[in-house]
Amino acid sequence: MFWKFVLRRIGQTVIVLICVSIIAFLLIHIAPGDPARIVLGDSATDEMVEAYREKLGLDQPLYVQYFKYIGGIFKGDLGTSTSYQQPVAKIIFSRFPNTILLTLATVLISLVISIPLGIIAGVHQGKAIDFFAMLFAILGQSMSTVWLGVLNIYIFAVKLKLLPTIGTGGLEYLILPAITLGYPISAQVTRLGRSGMIDVLREDYITATLAKGIPSSKVYTKYAFKNALIPIITIVGMQLGVFLGGAVVVETIFSWSGIGQLTNQAVGNRDYAMVQSLLLVIAAAMAIINLLVDIINAKIDPRITLQ
Amino acid sequence: MDKKIILRRMRKSKFFMVGCTVVVLLVVMAIAAPYIVRFDPEANALAEKFIPPEGLTKGLDGHIFGTDQMGRDIFTRLLTGAGSSFIIAACVVVIASVIGTVLGLVSGYFGGAVDTIIMRTTEVFMSIPQIVLAIAIVAMIGSSMPNLILVLVLTSWTSYAKLTRNNVLVIKGQEFVSAAKVLGASKLRIIFRQVFPNVTTPLLIQISQQFGMTIMVEATLSFLNLGIQPPAPSWGNMIAGSRQYLTTAPWTVFAPGVALMITVLAFNFLGDGLRDVLDPKRT
Repeated sequence: MFWKFVLRRIGQTVIVLICVSIIAFLLIHIAPGDPARIVLGDSATDEMVEAYREKLGLDQPLYVQYFKYIGGIFKGDLGTSTSYQQPVAKIIFSRFPNTILLTLATVLISLVISIPLGIIAGVHQGKAIDFFAMLFAILGQSMSTVWLGVLNIYIFAVKLKLLPTIGTGGLEYLILPAITLGYPISAQVTRLGRSGMIDVLREDYITATLAKGIPSSKVYTKYAFKNALIPIITIVGMQLGVFLGGAVVVETIFSWSGIGQLTNQAVGNRDYAMVQSLLLVIAAAMAIINLLVDIINAKIDPRITLQ
Repeated sequence: MDKKIILRRMRKSKFFMVGCTVVVLLVVMAIAAPYIVRFDPEANALAEKFIPPEGLTKGLDGHIFGTDQMGRDIFTRLLTGAGSSFIIAACVVVIASVIGTVLGLVSGYFGGAVDTIIMRTTEVFMSIPQIVLAIAIVAMIGSSMPNLILVLVLTSWTSYAKLTRNNVLVIKGQEFVSAAKVLGASKLRIIFRQVFPNVTTPLLIQISQQFGMTIMVEATLSFLNLGIQPPAPSWGNMIAGSRQYLTTAPWTVFAPGVALMITVLAFNFLGDGLRDVLDPKRT
């Protein structure tokens, strides 16, 4: 049952990826003007454009062009960046580790804050700490990354002078971007953790374990929390897409040289081959993460495979 | 539902009262902006640049929230920017919710191949982060107001489709739908007269929250220079333009930032409040 579920989800992911590749392919064609001229940029000579038209097969039907494009991707050829004059794939993969680092730091910081906060708020429903946690959550869901990033720079770098403002470097450079990117997620996880705990604590088996004299701290963390975990994993997995979207803003604000900043620069430089490939790479990363999240959830709760 | 009950619940829900009041206030101010403001939102007045907020010292006569790096009155730009943001968000929410709801109704009611195609399409759209897809498309077709609306619709209709479909699946199994079928009602009639009225409550809540979200995404695009183009003001491009003066003139950034936060917060409150009012079972 489990493997059947895994196979079906892999199949779905492949279909999604094919559709995304079609969207990425068509992207160049919806821009007004000659696609070859668009991809090569204004500095290209007419001969270069003509040669590129040959290579892409622009005189051939769209579906032939699409298969050529896909064939190139499988050979690792994502085109050449006009702003870097280098293969797109090389630049994207040189920037990718920075974004992965930022994403990991974001998940870590947001969970370290939100999971205990959610549990405590759920256990102490209606008390002051619960009110504080809810305030934290409501504010977090209404903060734009743009505004939060600037506010963080103002508070921690300008006023308190605790952390470096911008740049790519050691851990101290990672903290502010990770907080900025992670706050909205923390807010959601706090809410989910809280409502999950409230629901689980009403269950009979919790009353039974408490009645047996097992220390309440153990009941809350070991028995109750485990059952409140599934929606949290799902949300964090789903939110990774929002992370990658938010990374465009956060990496731009904090000059963190990952693929988010690269996306923004590529758009600014009209580097269309780069924009097209970034769309594809980011969507592929997300699809694979979602697949993994579903498989992890199915491992934790086998009932999911029945749906 | 009885109007009296709804009115009573409205008064009882703090979220609804706060959210509704702030939203109404914001919308009225945005609409009345051309009659309220006393400065030109786009004309430079370099002699008057970086005047700190004078709202407390000079009241309504001075630059209430100060001036920016070009000497433009920030209060004026905030209100003018709110107008265009609200128009964009309203268009996006209306178009996306109509498209999403119709597709969700069709998908949920008919099931089968239609359902599979529509749901796979939503998955494809949801597999690309909203901001990334919006950036890529705007980069290709340029950032005019209609293009901005188009992009935001393209990236937001899926949430309505999924929500409506899931609710239709619950509704269509109920007896009154079977009864309508037995009585010989046409499919269209069943969908729009029997099923649709029963999915409007979650839809309204969703619309309210999406309104805030759309304003936030538009601000993000404008911040990245892909939305409303300067010198026309938008909260996003105001933050982008003044960001480098954060140390010396923080108010230039704080004013649009706080405005953005309050607006999104108000729409989220309104959404939560609507849930209290229309769907008391779930709270």
